[in-house]
Amino acid sequence: MLKNYVILLLLTLIVFNFTACTSKDAEVPQKIEVTQEEVADDDFDEFEEEMEVKEVSDPFEGYNRVMTNFNDGMYEHFFKPVNKGYVVITTPDVRVSIGNFFRNLYFPMRFVNNVLQGKFRYAFEETGRFLVNTTAGCLGFFDPAKKKMGLKSHKEDFGQTLGFYGVGAGPHIVIPLFGPSNLRDAISFFPDAAVSPIDYKKRDWPTLTQTWPGLIAVKSVEKLNEVSLYQNQYEEIRKDAVDLYPYLRDLYEQKRAKEIEE
Amino acid sequence: MMFKRVFIKILLVISILGFSNNVLANEQDNLKAHFLEELSDIIKIIDNKQFTKDERNTKIVNELTPMFDFKLMAKLSLGKKKWMSLSKEAQVEFVTLYVERMKNSYSSKIDSYEDEEVKITDIKRKKNRISLETEIATAEKNLKVVYKFYKPKKRKNDKDVWLIYDVEIIGISILKADKAQFKEFLRTKTIEALMEALSKQKTT
Repeated sequence: MLKNYVILLLLTLIVFNFTACTSKDAEVPQKIEVTQEEVADDDFDEFEEEMEVKEVSDPFEGYNRVMTNFNDGMYEHFFKPVNKGYVVITTPDVRVSIGNFFRNLYFPMRFVNNVLQGKFRYAFEETGRFLVNTTAGCLGFFDPAKKKMGLKSHKEDFGQTLGFYGVGAGPHIVIPLFGPSNLRDAISFFPDAAVSPIDYKKRDWPTLTQTWPGLIAVKSVEKLNEVSLYQNQYEEIRKDAVDLYPYLRDLYEQKRAKEIEE
Repeated sequence: MMFKRVFIKILLVISILGFSNNVLANEQDNLKAHFLEELSDIIKIIDNKQFTKDERNTKIVNELTPMFDFKLMAKLSLGKKKWMSLSKEAQVEFVTLYVERMKNSYSSKIDSYEDEEVKITDIKRKKNRISLETEIATAEKNLKVVYKFYKPKKRKNDKDVWLIYDVEIIGISILKADKAQFKEFLRTKTIEALMEALSKQKTT
Protein backbone atom coordinates (compact mmCIF):
# COMPACT_ATOMS: atom_id res chain seq x y z
CA MET A 1 0.00 0.00 0.00
CA LEU A 2 2.73 2.34 1.08
CA LYS A 3 4.75 1.39 -1.95
CA ASN A 4 1.92 2.36 -4.22
CA TYR A 5 1.89 5.79 -2.66
CA VAL A 6 5.60 6.16 -3.17
CA ILE A 7 5.28 5.25 -6.82
CA LEU A 8 2.38 7.65 -7.22
CA LEU A 9 4.35 10.42 -5.58
CA LEU A 10 7.35 9.79 -7.82
CA LEU A 11 5.18 9.75 -10.88
CA THR A 12 3.66 13.10 -9.94
CA LEU A 13 7.17 14.45 -9.43
CA ILE A 14 8.18 13.32 -12.91
CA VAL A 15 5.05 14.77 -14.47
CA PHE A 16 5.66 17.99 -12.59
CA ASN A 17 9.17 18.08 -14.01
CA PHE A 18 7.93 17.82 -17.53
CA THR A 19 5.34 20.51 -17.09
CA ALA A 20 7.94 22.72 -15.45
CA CYS A 21 10.07 22.23 -18.54
CA THR A 22 7.39 23.41 -20.87
CA SER A 23 5.99 26.31 -18.84
CA LYS A 24 7.74 29.37 -20.12
CA ASP A 25 6.66 32.21 -17.86
CA ALA A 26 9.76 33.80 -16.43
CA GLU A 27 9.71 34.30 -12.71
CA VAL A 28 9.98 37.83 -11.52
CA PRO A 29 12.78 37.87 -8.97
CA GLN A 30 11.48 38.83 -5.57
CA LYS A 31 12.87 41.78 -3.74
CA ILE A 32 14.63 40.60 -0.63
CA GLU A 33 15.91 43.13 1.83
CA VAL A 34 19.49 42.43 2.77
CA THR A 35 20.95 44.19 5.72
CA GLN A 36 24.59 43.37 5.14
CA GLU A 37 25.40 45.82 2.42
CA GLU A 38 29.09 45.32 1.86
CA VAL A 39 30.40 42.30 0.02
CA ALA A 40 32.17 40.03 2.46
CA ASP A 41 35.85 39.95 1.76
CA ASP A 42 35.81 36.22 1.05
CA ASP A 43 34.19 37.16 -2.26
CA PHE A 44 37.65 38.22 -3.27
CA ASP A 45 39.13 34.75 -3.04
CA GLU A 46 36.47 33.48 -5.38
CA PHE A 47 37.65 35.90 -8.07
CA GLU A 48 41.34 36.14 -7.26
CA GLU A 49 42.40 33.37 -9.62
CA GLU A 50 40.01 34.36 -12.38
CA MET A 51 41.11 37.97 -12.34
CA GLU A 52 44.81 37.28 -12.19
CA VAL A 53 46.69 39.65 -14.47
CA LYS A 54 49.71 38.31 -16.28
CA GLU A 55 52.83 40.43 -16.30
CA VAL A 56 53.75 41.44 -19.83
CA SER A 57 57.42 41.15 -20.73
CA ASP A 58 58.51 44.71 -21.42
CA PRO A 59 62.25 45.33 -21.69
CA PHE A 60 61.70 48.03 -24.35
CA GLU A 61 59.34 50.09 -22.23
CA GLY A 62 61.25 53.32 -22.80
CA TYR A 63 61.20 53.00 -26.58
CA ASN A 64 57.62 51.70 -26.54
CA ARG A 65 56.39 54.71 -24.61
CA VAL A 66 58.06 57.11 -27.03
CA MET A 67 56.65 55.25 -30.01
CA THR A 68 53.16 55.17 -28.48
CA ASN A 69 53.32 58.94 -28.05
CA PHE A 70 54.49 59.27 -31.65
CA ASN A 71 51.66 57.08 -32.95
CA ASP A 72 49.11 58.91 -30.84
CA GLY A 73 50.47 62.22 -32.09
CA MET A 74 50.25 60.97 -35.67
CA TYR A 75 46.66 59.99 -35.03
CA GLU A 76 45.78 63.32 -33.40
CA HIS A 77 47.59 65.63 -35.83
CA PHE A 78 47.60 63.68 -39.07
CA PHE A 79 45.15 60.80 -39.39
CA LYS A 80 42.33 62.50 -37.51
CA PRO A 81 42.31 65.69 -39.64
CA VAL A 82 42.83 63.75 -42.87
CA ASN A 83 40.07 61.38 -41.81
CA LYS A 84 37.74 64.34 -41.35
CA GLY A 85 38.14 65.11 -45.03
CA TYR A 86 37.90 61.45 -45.98
CA VAL A 87 34.60 61.07 -44.12
CA VAL A 88 33.22 64.07 -46.04
CA ILE A 89 33.99 62.62 -49.46
CA THR A 90 32.89 59.04 -48.65
CA THR A 91 29.68 57.55 -47.33
CA PRO A 92 29.69 54.92 -44.56
CA ASP A 93 28.76 52.28 -47.14
CA VAL A 94 31.77 53.15 -49.23
CA ARG A 95 34.09 52.91 -46.25
CA VAL A 96 32.68 49.52 -45.25
CA SER A 97 33.06 48.35 -48.87
CA ILE A 98 36.68 49.43 -49.00
CA GLY A 99 37.26 47.59 -45.73
CA ASN A 100 35.62 44.51 -47.29
CA PHE A 101 37.81 44.80 -50.36
CA PHE A 102 41.02 44.72 -48.34
CA ARG A 103 39.78 41.95 -46.09
CA ASN A 104 38.98 39.84 -49.14
CA LEU A 105 42.50 40.39 -50.48
CA TYR A 106 44.01 38.94 -47.32
CA PHE A 107 42.26 35.62 -47.97
CA PRO A 108 45.53 33.74 -48.73
CA MET A 109 46.92 34.66 -45.29
CA ARG A 110 43.81 33.40 -43.52
CA PHE A 111 43.66 30.26 -45.65
CA VAL A 112 47.29 29.31 -45.12
CA ASN A 113 47.22 29.93 -41.38
CA ASN A 114 43.95 28.07 -40.86
CA VAL A 115 45.46 25.10 -42.69
CA LEU A 116 48.70 25.33 -40.70
CA GLN A 117 46.65 25.08 -37.51
CA GLY A 118 44.67 22.14 -38.83
CA LYS A 119 41.46 24.19 -38.96
CA PHE A 120 40.38 22.73 -42.29
CA ARG A 121 36.72 23.55 -41.93
CA TYR A 122 37.53 27.23 -41.44
CA ALA A 123 39.95 27.16 -44.38
CA PHE A 124 37.17 25.69 -46.48
CA GLU A 125 34.70 28.33 -45.29
CA GLU A 126 37.23 31.05 -46.09
CA THR A 127 37.68 29.62 -49.59
CA GLY A 128 33.94 29.71 -50.11
CA ARG A 129 33.86 33.32 -48.93
CA PHE A 130 36.67 34.30 -51.25
CA LEU A 131 35.07 32.69 -54.30
CA VAL A 132 31.63 34.16 -53.62
CA ASN A 133 32.80 37.63 -52.63
CA THR A 134 35.32 37.97 -55.44
CA THR A 135 32.67 37.13 -58.05
CA ALA A 136 29.18 37.93 -56.77
CA GLY A 137 30.62 40.47 -54.32
CA CYS A 138 32.26 42.52 -57.12
CA LEU A 139 35.96 41.91 -56.33
CA GLY A 140 35.25 41.74 -52.63
CA PHE A 141 33.67 45.15 -52.20
CA PHE A 142 30.52 43.47 -50.94
CA ASP A 143 30.07 40.57 -48.58
CA PRO A 144 27.21 38.43 -49.92
CA ALA A 145 28.96 35.34 -48.49
CA LYS A 146 28.11 36.48 -44.97
CA LYS A 147 24.85 38.25 -45.68
CA LYS A 148 23.26 35.69 -47.98
CA MET A 149 25.02 32.45 -47.17
CA GLY A 150 26.08 32.88 -43.55
CA LEU A 151 29.74 32.10 -44.26
CA LYS A 152 31.86 33.64 -41.54
CA SER A 153 35.40 34.93 -41.74
CA HIS A 154 38.00 33.25 -39.52
CA LYS A 155 40.94 35.54 -39.19
CA GLU A 156 44.18 33.73 -38.52
CA ASP A 157 47.65 35.15 -39.04
CA PHE A 158 51.11 33.67 -38.66
CA GLY A 159 51.50 35.09 -35.16
CA GLN A 160 48.43 33.10 -34.14
CA THR A 161 49.83 30.01 -35.86
CA LEU A 162 53.08 30.32 -33.89
CA GLY A 163 51.09 30.91 -30.71
CA PHE A 164 48.98 27.84 -31.53
CA TYR A 165 52.15 25.73 -31.51
CA GLY A 166 53.23 27.17 -28.19
CA VAL A 167 55.54 30.02 -29.22
CA GLY A 168 55.40 32.73 -26.54
CA ALA A 169 54.66 36.37 -27.31
CA GLY A 170 58.13 37.64 -26.46
CA PRO A 171 58.74 41.26 -25.52
CA HIS A 172 56.13 43.86 -26.40
CA ILE A 173 57.11 46.14 -29.29
CA VAL A 174 55.23 49.17 -30.54
CA ILE A 175 55.60 49.51 -34.31
CA PRO A 176 55.61 52.95 -35.94
CA LEU A 177 52.17 53.78 -37.43
CA PHE A 178 50.94 50.25 -36.90
CA GLY A 179 50.73 50.26 -33.11
CA PRO A 180 51.11 47.60 -30.41
CA SER A 181 52.73 44.31 -31.29
CA ASN A 182 55.23 41.84 -29.84
CA LEU A 183 58.30 40.07 -31.12
CA ARG A 184 56.41 36.97 -32.27
CA ASP A 185 53.73 38.94 -34.11
CA ALA A 186 56.20 41.42 -35.60
CA ILE A 187 58.30 38.63 -37.11
CA SER A 188 55.11 37.08 -38.42
CA PHE A 189 54.51 40.08 -40.65
CA PHE A 190 57.06 38.66 -43.08
CA PRO A 191 55.54 35.24 -43.79
CA ASP A 192 52.10 36.86 -43.93
CA ALA A 193 53.36 39.51 -46.36
CA ALA A 194 54.83 36.74 -48.51
CA VAL A 195 51.32 35.48 -49.30
CA SER A 196 49.77 38.95 -49.50
CA PRO A 197 48.59 40.12 -52.91
CA ILE A 198 49.37 43.68 -51.89
CA ASP A 199 53.03 43.80 -52.80
CA TYR A 200 55.30 44.89 -55.62
CA LYS A 201 57.66 41.93 -55.75
CA LYS A 202 57.44 39.37 -58.52
CA ARG A 203 54.91 36.69 -57.69
CA ASP A 204 53.38 33.70 -59.39
CA TRP A 205 49.98 35.32 -59.00
CA PRO A 206 48.71 38.81 -59.83
CA THR A 207 49.48 41.46 -57.23
CA LEU A 208 47.64 44.70 -56.69
CA THR A 209 50.69 46.92 -57.12
CA GLN A 210 53.81 46.74 -59.26
CA THR A 211 56.06 49.41 -57.72
CA TRP A 212 56.90 50.46 -54.17
CA PRO A 213 55.32 53.92 -54.48
CA GLY A 214 52.19 52.11 -55.63
CA LEU A 215 52.40 49.85 -52.60
CA ILE A 216 52.71 52.84 -50.26
CA ALA A 217 49.73 54.53 -51.91
CA VAL A 218 47.56 51.43 -51.54
CA LYS A 219 48.70 50.88 -47.96
CA SER A 220 47.87 54.50 -47.15
CA VAL A 221 44.32 54.11 -48.43
CA GLU A 222 44.00 50.92 -46.42
CA LYS A 223 45.27 52.62 -43.27
CA LEU A 224 43.11 55.70 -43.74
CA ASN A 225 40.02 53.58 -44.26
CA GLU A 226 40.89 51.56 -41.19
CA VAL A 227 41.20 54.75 -39.15
CA SER A 228 37.76 55.85 -40.33
CA LEU A 229 36.23 52.51 -39.32
CA TYR A 230 37.90 52.20 -35.94
CA GLN A 231 38.19 55.84 -34.89
CA ASN A 232 35.43 55.55 -32.28
CA GLN A 233 36.98 52.49 -30.72
CA TYR A 234 40.36 54.14 -30.40
CA GLU A 235 38.89 57.30 -28.91
CA GLU A 236 36.97 55.22 -26.36
CA ILE A 237 40.09 53.33 -25.38
CA ARG A 238 41.96 56.60 -24.96
CA LYS A 239 39.26 57.87 -22.61
CA ASP A 240 39.37 54.75 -20.45
CA ALA A 241 43.14 54.81 -20.03
CA VAL A 242 44.82 56.35 -17.00
CA ASP A 243 48.14 55.86 -18.78
CA LEU A 244 47.84 55.20 -22.51
CA TYR A 245 50.89 53.06 -23.23
CA PRO A 246 50.46 50.23 -20.70
CA TYR A 247 46.72 50.22 -21.33
CA LEU A 248 47.14 49.72 -25.07
CA ARG A 249 49.84 47.14 -24.40
CA ASP A 250 47.65 45.06 -22.11
CA LEU A 251 44.62 45.29 -24.36
CA TYR A 252 46.71 44.06 -27.26
CA GLU A 253 48.31 41.17 -25.36
CA GLN A 254 44.97 40.12 -23.86
CA LYS A 255 43.30 40.17 -27.26
CA ARG A 256 46.06 38.15 -28.90
CA ALA A 257 46.12 35.57 -26.10
CA LYS A 258 42.38 35.13 -26.54
CA GLU A 259 42.62 34.87 -30.33
CA ILE A 260 45.27 32.18 -30.00
CA GLU A 261 43.26 30.30 -27.38
CA GLU A 262 40.35 30.10 -29.79
CA MET B 1 9.02 -7.77 -5.44
CA MET B 2 12.64 -7.40 -6.51
CA PHE B 3 11.51 -5.85 -9.76
CA LYS B 4 9.36 -3.28 -7.99
CA ARG B 5 12.22 -2.14 -5.79
CA VAL B 6 14.45 -1.58 -8.79
CA PHE B 7 11.64 0.25 -10.50
CA ILE B 8 11.20 2.59 -7.56
CA LYS B 9 14.91 3.29 -7.44
CA ILE B 10 14.99 4.12 -11.12
CA LEU B 11 12.02 6.42 -10.75
CA LEU B 12 13.65 8.12 -7.81
CA VAL B 13 16.86 8.76 -9.73
CA ILE B 14 15.00 10.05 -12.76
CA SER B 15 12.88 12.42 -10.73
CA ILE B 16 15.83 13.85 -8.81
CA LEU B 17 17.90 14.28 -11.94
CA GLY B 18 15.02 15.84 -13.78
CA PHE B 19 14.24 18.19 -10.95
CA SER B 20 17.77 19.53 -10.50
CA ASN B 21 18.16 19.96 -14.24
CA ASN B 22 15.01 21.99 -14.36
CA VAL B 23 16.10 24.38 -11.67
CA LEU B 24 19.42 25.03 -13.39
CA ALA B 25 17.92 25.42 -16.84
CA ASN B 26 15.21 27.71 -15.55
CA GLU B 27 17.66 30.07 -13.93
CA GLN B 28 19.52 30.43 -17.21
CA ASP B 29 16.30 30.94 -19.14
CA ASN B 30 15.17 33.53 -16.64
CA LEU B 31 18.44 35.40 -16.89
CA LYS B 32 18.29 35.33 -20.66
CA ALA B 33 14.72 36.58 -20.68
CA HIS B 34 15.58 39.28 -18.18
CA PHE B 35 18.58 40.38 -20.24
CA LEU B 36 16.55 40.60 -23.44
CA GLU B 37 13.88 42.57 -21.59
CA GLU B 38 16.46 45.06 -20.33
CA LEU B 39 17.93 45.28 -23.79
CA SER B 40 14.63 46.10 -25.41
CA ASP B 41 13.95 48.68 -22.70
CA ILE B 42 17.29 50.31 -23.44
CA ILE B 43 16.66 50.29 -27.16
CA LYS B 44 13.30 51.93 -26.52
CA ILE B 45 15.06 54.68 -24.57
CA ILE B 46 17.60 55.14 -27.35
CA ASP B 47 14.91 55.25 -30.02
CA ASN B 48 12.90 57.83 -28.12
CA LYS B 49 14.02 61.04 -29.76
CA GLN B 50 12.34 63.26 -27.15
CA PHE B 51 15.09 62.78 -24.59
CA THR B 52 18.18 64.93 -24.60
CA LYS B 53 21.49 63.11 -24.71
CA ASP B 54 22.04 63.53 -20.97
CA GLU B 55 18.52 62.47 -20.05
CA ARG B 56 18.84 59.44 -22.24
CA ASN B 57 22.19 58.38 -20.81
CA THR B 58 21.02 58.80 -17.21
CA LYS B 59 17.96 56.71 -17.96
CA ILE B 60 20.07 53.98 -19.50
CA VAL B 61 22.57 53.96 -16.66
CA ASN B 62 19.70 53.73 -14.17
CA GLU B 63 18.30 50.83 -16.14
CA LEU B 64 21.66 49.05 -16.08
CA THR B 65 22.65 49.72 -12.48
CA PRO B 66 20.67 46.84 -10.89
CA MET B 67 22.37 44.42 -13.31
CA PHE B 68 25.94 45.38 -12.46
CA ASP B 69 27.92 44.89 -9.29
CA PHE B 70 29.97 48.04 -9.79
CA LYS B 71 31.21 47.93 -6.20
CA LEU B 72 32.68 44.50 -6.61
CA MET B 73 34.23 45.57 -9.91
CA ALA B 74 35.89 48.50 -8.20
CA LYS B 75 37.35 46.23 -5.54
CA LEU B 76 38.50 43.61 -8.01
CA SER B 77 40.15 46.25 -10.18
CA LEU B 78 42.55 47.01 -7.35
CA GLY B 79 43.16 43.43 -6.30
CA LYS B 80 42.81 42.09 -2.79
CA LYS B 81 46.18 43.18 -1.42
CA LYS B 82 45.88 46.79 -2.50
CA TRP B 83 42.24 47.03 -1.47
CA MET B 84 42.93 45.75 2.03
CA SER B 85 45.76 48.25 2.44
CA LEU B 86 43.43 51.22 1.91
CA SER B 87 41.77 53.09 4.74
CA LYS B 88 37.98 52.90 5.04
CA GLU B 89 37.61 56.44 3.67
CA ALA B 90 39.91 55.77 0.75
CA GLN B 91 37.96 52.62 -0.07
CA VAL B 92 34.70 54.52 -0.21
CA GLU B 93 36.24 57.28 -2.29
CA PHE B 94 37.80 54.85 -4.72
CA VAL B 95 34.57 52.92 -5.23
CA THR B 96 32.66 56.15 -5.82
CA LEU B 97 35.17 57.33 -8.41
CA TYR B 98 35.35 53.98 -10.15
CA VAL B 99 31.58 53.61 -10.39
CA GLU B 100 31.27 57.15 -11.71
CA ARG B 101 33.90 56.41 -14.32
CA MET B 102 32.19 53.16 -15.38
CA LYS B 103 28.93 54.97 -15.87
CA ASN B 104 30.56 57.71 -17.89
CA SER B 105 32.42 55.22 -19.99
CA TYR B 106 29.17 53.41 -20.71
CA SER B 107 27.35 56.60 -21.59
CA SER B 108 30.00 57.60 -24.04
CA LYS B 109 29.87 54.17 -25.66
CA ILE B 110 26.12 54.48 -26.00
CA ASP B 111 26.64 57.74 -27.85
CA SER B 112 28.44 55.90 -30.61
CA TYR B 113 25.69 53.31 -30.89
CA GLU B 114 24.05 53.28 -34.31
CA ASP B 115 21.16 50.89 -34.78
CA GLU B 116 23.30 47.85 -34.19
CA GLU B 117 21.60 44.56 -33.65
CA VAL B 118 22.42 42.58 -30.51
CA LYS B 119 21.73 38.89 -30.28
CA ILE B 120 22.50 36.25 -27.68
CA THR B 121 24.65 33.52 -29.17
CA ASP B 122 25.28 31.32 -26.17
CA ILE B 123 24.79 31.02 -22.44
CA LYS B 124 27.11 28.93 -20.28
CA ARG B 125 26.90 28.11 -16.62
CA LYS B 126 29.59 26.99 -14.25
CA LYS B 127 28.42 26.77 -10.63
CA ASN B 128 27.63 30.31 -9.54
CA ARG B 129 28.85 31.90 -12.75
CA ILE B 130 26.97 32.44 -15.99
CA SER B 131 28.52 33.87 -19.09
CA LEU B 132 26.10 35.31 -21.57
CA GLU B 133 27.65 35.57 -25.01
CA THR B 134 26.27 38.16 -27.37
CA GLU B 135 27.11 39.44 -30.79
CA ILE B 136 26.70 43.02 -31.91
CA ALA B 137 26.31 43.18 -35.66
CA THR B 138 27.90 46.38 -36.94
CA ALA B 139 28.05 47.31 -40.59
CA GLU B 140 31.68 46.28 -40.73
CA LYS B 141 31.79 43.12 -38.66
CA ASN B 142 30.38 41.29 -35.67
CA LEU B 143 31.66 42.23 -32.23
CA LYS B 144 31.62 39.52 -29.64
CA VAL B 145 30.64 40.78 -26.19
CA VAL B 146 30.43 38.43 -23.21
CA TYR B 147 28.63 39.45 -20.02
CA LYS B 148 29.88 37.61 -16.98
CA PHE B 149 27.41 37.13 -14.17
CA TYR B 150 27.84 35.72 -10.69
CA LYS B 151 25.33 34.92 -8.01
CA PRO B 152 26.18 36.51 -4.68
CA LYS B 153 25.66 34.29 -1.68
CA LYS B 154 23.27 36.87 -0.29
CA ARG B 155 20.93 38.84 -2.48
CA LYS B 156 21.96 42.50 -2.54
CA ASN B 157 19.76 45.50 -1.95
CA ASP B 158 18.09 46.89 -5.08
CA LYS B 159 20.03 44.43 -7.19
CA ASP B 160 19.21 41.52 -9.46
CA VAL B 161 19.84 37.93 -8.41
CA TRP B 162 22.59 37.49 -10.95
CA LEU B 163 25.03 40.36 -11.25
CA ILE B 164 27.48 41.32 -13.94
CA TYR B 165 31.02 41.54 -12.60
CA ASP B 166 32.91 41.73 -15.89
CA VAL B 167 32.36 42.39 -19.58
CA GLU B 168 34.54 40.89 -22.26
CA ILE B 169 34.71 42.78 -25.53
CA ILE B 170 36.38 40.93 -28.42
CA GLY B 171 38.22 38.81 -25.90
CA ILE B 172 39.34 41.71 -23.73
CA SER B 173 38.10 41.69 -20.16
CA ILE B 174 37.50 45.29 -19.16
CA LEU B 175 38.10 44.41 -15.54
CA LYS B 176 41.42 42.73 -16.23
CA ALA B 177 42.43 45.64 -18.42
CA ASP B 178 41.68 48.05 -15.58
CA LYS B 179 43.40 45.86 -13.04
CA ALA B 180 46.51 45.73 -15.21
CA GLN B 181 46.61 49.47 -15.79
CA PHE B 182 45.97 50.35 -12.15
CA LYS B 183 48.66 47.93 -11.05
CA GLU B 184 51.10 49.49 -13.49
CA PHE B 185 50.15 53.00 -12.37
CA LEU B 186 50.52 52.13 -8.69
CA ARG B 187 53.97 50.67 -9.24
CA THR B 188 55.36 54.17 -9.49
CA LYS B 189 52.57 56.38 -8.15
CA THR B 190 50.30 56.58 -5.11
CA ILE B 191 46.65 55.67 -4.76
CA GLU B 192 45.88 59.37 -4.31
CA ALA B 193 47.39 60.09 -7.72
CA LEU B 194 45.33 57.28 -9.23
CA MET B 195 42.16 58.68 -7.75
CA GLU B 196 43.01 62.09 -9.06
CA ALA B 197 43.57 60.66 -12.53
CA LEU B 198 40.23 58.87 -12.33
CA SER B 199 38.37 61.99 -11.25
CA LYS B 200 39.95 63.93 -14.11
CA GLN B 201 38.84 61.25 -16.56
CA LYS B 202 35.30 61.71 -15.42
CA THR B 203 35.13 65.25 -16.69
CA THR B 204 36.75 64.73 -20.07
